[in-house]
Amino acid sequence: MFHRESGVFKTSYAADMALYPLPIAKWAVAAFAGLFIVIAPLALGEYYISILNLVLIACVGALGLNILVGYTGQISIGHGAFMSVGAYTAANLVVHLHAPFWITIPAGGIMAALIGAVVGIPSLRIKGIYLAIATLAAQLIIEWTINHVPAISGGVQASIQVPRPTLFGTPLKTQGQLYLFLMAFVVLAIVGTANLIRSRIGRAFIAIRDQDIAAEIIGINIFRYKLWAFAISSFYAGVTGVLYTYYLGIANYEQFQLTVSIDYLAMVIIGGLGSILGSIFGAIFVTLLPILTRWFLEDYGWLLFSGQDLQNAIPNLRLILFGCLIIFFLVVEPDGLNRLWRNIRNYFRVWPFSY
Amino acid sequence: MRHVWGVGLATAAGATMALCLAGTAVAQQKEVVIGGMCDRTGPTQVNGAGICPGIQDYFDLVNSKGGVEGYKIKYMEIDHEYKVPPAVEAYQREKGEGATSILVYGSPQVQALNKKLEEDKIPGTSPGFGIAASADGKRFPYLFPVAATYWSQGAAAVQFVKDKLGGDLKGKKIAYLFYDNPAGREPIPVIEDLQKIEGFELRTFAVPPPAVEMGAQILDIAQRYKPDFVIDHLFGSGPGVAIKELKRNGYPLSKVVALVWASGEHDIIGGGGWPVAEGYHTMSFAGVGDDYPVRQEIRDMYKKAGKEPPKAMADTVMYNRGILWAALHTEATRNAIKAKGGQQPTGEDVKKGFEQIQDFSLGGLVPPLKVTSADHEGGGYVQIFQVKGGKFLKVTEWFRAYPEVVAAAIKKAE
Amino acid sequence: MPEFEWQFTLVLLTNGIMIGLMYSLIALGFVLIYKATDAINFAQGEFVMFAGFIAAGAAEIAGAPFWLTALIAIGGMIGLGFGLERVVLRPMIGRPVIAVVMATIGLAAVLRGTATMAFGAGTKVIVLPVPDEPLDLGFVTLPPIQLLGAGVSLVFLAGFTWFFLRSRVGIAMRAVADSQQVSMAMGINVQRYFALAWAMAGVVSALGGVIWGAMLAVDNQLALVGLKVFPVVILGGLDSIAGAVIGGLIVGIVENLAAGYFDPYVGGGTKDFVPYLLMILVLMIRPEGIFGRRRIERV
Repeated sequence: MFHRESGVFKTSYAADMALYPLPIAKWAVAAFAGLFIVIAPLALGEYYISILNLVLIACVGALGLNILVGYTGQISIGHGAFMSVGAYTAANLVVHLHAPFWITIPAGGIMAALIGAVVGIPSLRIKGIYLAIATLAAQLIIEWTINHVPAISGGVQASIQVPRPTLFGTPLKTQGQLYLFLMAFVVLAIVGTANLIRSRIGRAFIAIRDQDIAAEIIGINIFRYKLWAFAISSFYAGVTGVLYTYYLGIANYEQFQLTVSIDYLAMVIIGGLGSILGSIFGAIFVTLLPILTRWFLEDYGWLLFSGQDLQNAIPNLRLILFGCLIIFFLVVEPDGLNRLWRNIRNYFRVWPFSY
Repeated sequence: MRHVWGVGLATAAGATMALCLAGTAVAQQKEVVIGGMCDRTGPTQVNGAGICPGIQDYFDLVNSKGGVEGYKIKYMEIDHEYKVPPAVEAYQREKGEGATSILVYGSPQVQALNKKLEEDKIPGTSPGFGIAASADGKRFPYLFPVAATYWSQGAAAVQFVKDKLGGDLKGKKIAYLFYDNPAGREPIPVIEDLQKIEGFELRTFAVPPPAVEMGAQILDIAQRYKPDFVIDHLFGSGPGVAIKELKRNGYPLSKVVALVWASGEHDIIGGGGWPVAEGYHTMSFAGVGDDYPVRQEIRDMYKKAGKEPPKAMADTVMYNRGILWAALHTEATRNAIKAKGGQQPTGEDVKKGFEQIQDFSLGGLVPPLKVTSADHEGGGYVQIFQVKGGKFLKVTEWFRAYPEVVAAAIKKAE
Repeated sequence: MPEFEWQFTLVLLTNGIMIGLMYSLIALGFVLIYKATDAINFAQGEFVMFAGFIAAGAAEIAGAPFWLTALIAIGGMIGLGFGLERVVLRPMIGRPVIAVVMATIGLAAVLRGTATMAFGAGTKVIVLPVPDEPLDLGFVTLPPIQLLGAGVSLVFLAGFTWFFLRSRVGIAMRAVADSQQVSMAMGINVQRYFALAWAMAGVVSALGGVIWGAMLAVDNQLALVGLKVFPVVILGGLDSIAGAVIGGLIVGIVENLAAGYFDPYVGGGTKDFVPYLLMILVLMIRPEGIFGRRRIERV
């Protein structure tokens, strides 16, 4: 009934390579856009919009990391550090030069991309887990540098206050305004990633992931493309960092430490390596998990614990649940939430028939 | 006679019943929401383990006595594991529930929420941590340190060292051992200012996070630099390790004074126990020990409910800080309600309520604070204790040090 | 340039050697698992922390003497090792590296939460019957607890080296690490040896937990000691026990010298990342570490 491909015939190469080759895909995207861009900010209360804002920021970061980890196959535990590079670049630009957001966001991204390329240099010689640990080293070194160089960090406190972004003169203050602001960047990120994957560079990334020696043999300069992967992924991370800064009103390196890098890694793995929808699923899942567990435990925890014990238990149970869910997803569904979604979608392709 | 007795009794009974009914009816409707963040997990969980129950218990105590000016306190506690995004989400949630004041836990969180608190006009407190410059009520109208900030603590430590070394610091050597993050570095500018004024030699020793390993720094202090006094500003498990290492390297603990987050019972225990830590000086912005009427009241409250008092009460340092924190919020709310003639207070009212706090000592647990709209710190009072014979012995009364230097630092921070 | 004080440098060196050997003890657990099962264990620090909690908890609850708590910790960690291998690692056999890494990261979170929930958030102490007063050798002073730690470390490192070279079980484990299929063809029960490897890592973590816990303190921060494992094993080679020793010594010495001589000039904190800088340099020159085996990639 939902057999999507029936009746659709492509007559040109461009049509075949289009982002949304099927009419139903176009309708679905339009519906989602309408729902999330128009209806959600009007219908939901401020608290829920603020949660969505956190999810949106995480989406951009997860997309970036997925480009590096999912599409190019390089493990990186340094995502948080690149975010802090972007954040502090933007914050310094705002404070010293009063730059508007349409300069600071790209600038933060580019700075992070440069540092990312430098971090990617060891990938010339080292691979796999060794490269992962090299990125871990980068995370720690960048953290230390920002902590100890007052010119970057803005003083002993290592935090820089940043005023709200202004659009045509009005500052964006309410959660709803920030929501639309962030949504614009998420849309850009998604479209950018989708087009990147379809392009020559994206195909080179996938080749490197699948069989890098074979890729080198057929003439792909894998070192150059690995550097591109690091740079592009770090660009996304830098933009995420700047968005965080604008959302919170402050740039503080303590928000971008190792635990954050691990969180983003969890997002792309749980969501599904090598897929855009997977990054978004992962971002939603990992961001909402602590919030949902807390809601659940607050409502039903009294069944198991009493008063103070409950307060003690909630955060610990959340940590345990986080770890268990990661392990669960890795064991049961290694391709992540994205695979679950595809299974559901494939089921409905031929529904109500079974094949 | 009996006639009068009977009538009197009946009237009394009737009045009590009427009051009870009126009381319950009103109590069920009148509620003040106070939002809090307290970490029972994460890098500072050793502190939260004592502070969070202290806060809860004090609010329960107030509610058990009928609330604050007739309003029951609804306290929301959310743990954010010392991370910022969950803290922001927690704040949004508490704001959505109508919180009129927030207990903000963690210096990075104070930084992150400063702007939001200002935009939403809700006061936030950060006793003993946070942004030291937030003592300036004009620049940070909605942030209230309400206890000695890191600058006041640093100044107090230097004052104490000066007193201990015979009143003169010229030519003496002081080592500043600290946790290498912004909160750990915060006292440095004030201590350096004091170095210029008092003429002592200062060297700083940074211990990188997580501060469980500081062999080289302690070796340097104990065997190479050999200072006359050590100021210890570590937190988490750092202080305990420092005590052990200093002892192992033969440096006398009686030449060490710790700032407020290196001064808890868990630090002594982590350092190897009371006998090992003999002589160690600690600093606190809340009274230490069990000898306060409010602690007995909390114990009675538990006894009346037929329960044992919580294990956390054994911790007299952090638990008491929790009590102080909650008590200051209660007092501010009380001031707000009274100023509004019994009406439901808003965040703005509670902010003004904070700025009226003075002469509130809770049996000696709270220092003689005087919070005004210009001074959100209340004076920066601390007390020094020393580990002797298995417990904390009070060495000084409440004092504040070098207020002019601290004020100059606040002004310079513009 | 900082003045080169001989006395101080000697002190730093000895401290570095002792701490380095303790790092080697933790790295040993990591190497055991990697050598036998090819799995990268990001939860090594949490193992040590959990073991410390078990020992401290046993002492607190049952008032057991220290040797009994050490035994309980060892027993507990063996059980944990077996259990984890069964539940978490067996389904991950054959999966890409990143999946196993993430699984151990998830495991780390679970262990942290469970430890705090089961044993409480306060700091615990482990008391070993070792004098606190440092041993004065004239030109250096040695804290006895570090001597104990270094000694235990050396004993275990020697023991495991012999184990892998000479004993039947050890050789079987090396065979399993080399090629699971061939080992199975030779009749070796691969799964049993996987479990054994994890259990042995558990034992090593237990000892590490007890000693580190006695040296520092037992609380959730103890797990961060585990991060130090990476420079050690990368320098020494992921699958080499001798590498764990040498790597540990190098990291310990470099850390201490850096902290002693660089810190005053850059405001501190060099101790944390200097080993990583060194590690990156070594990686660029010799990717498999000093003693590691060169991995031949086959297309």
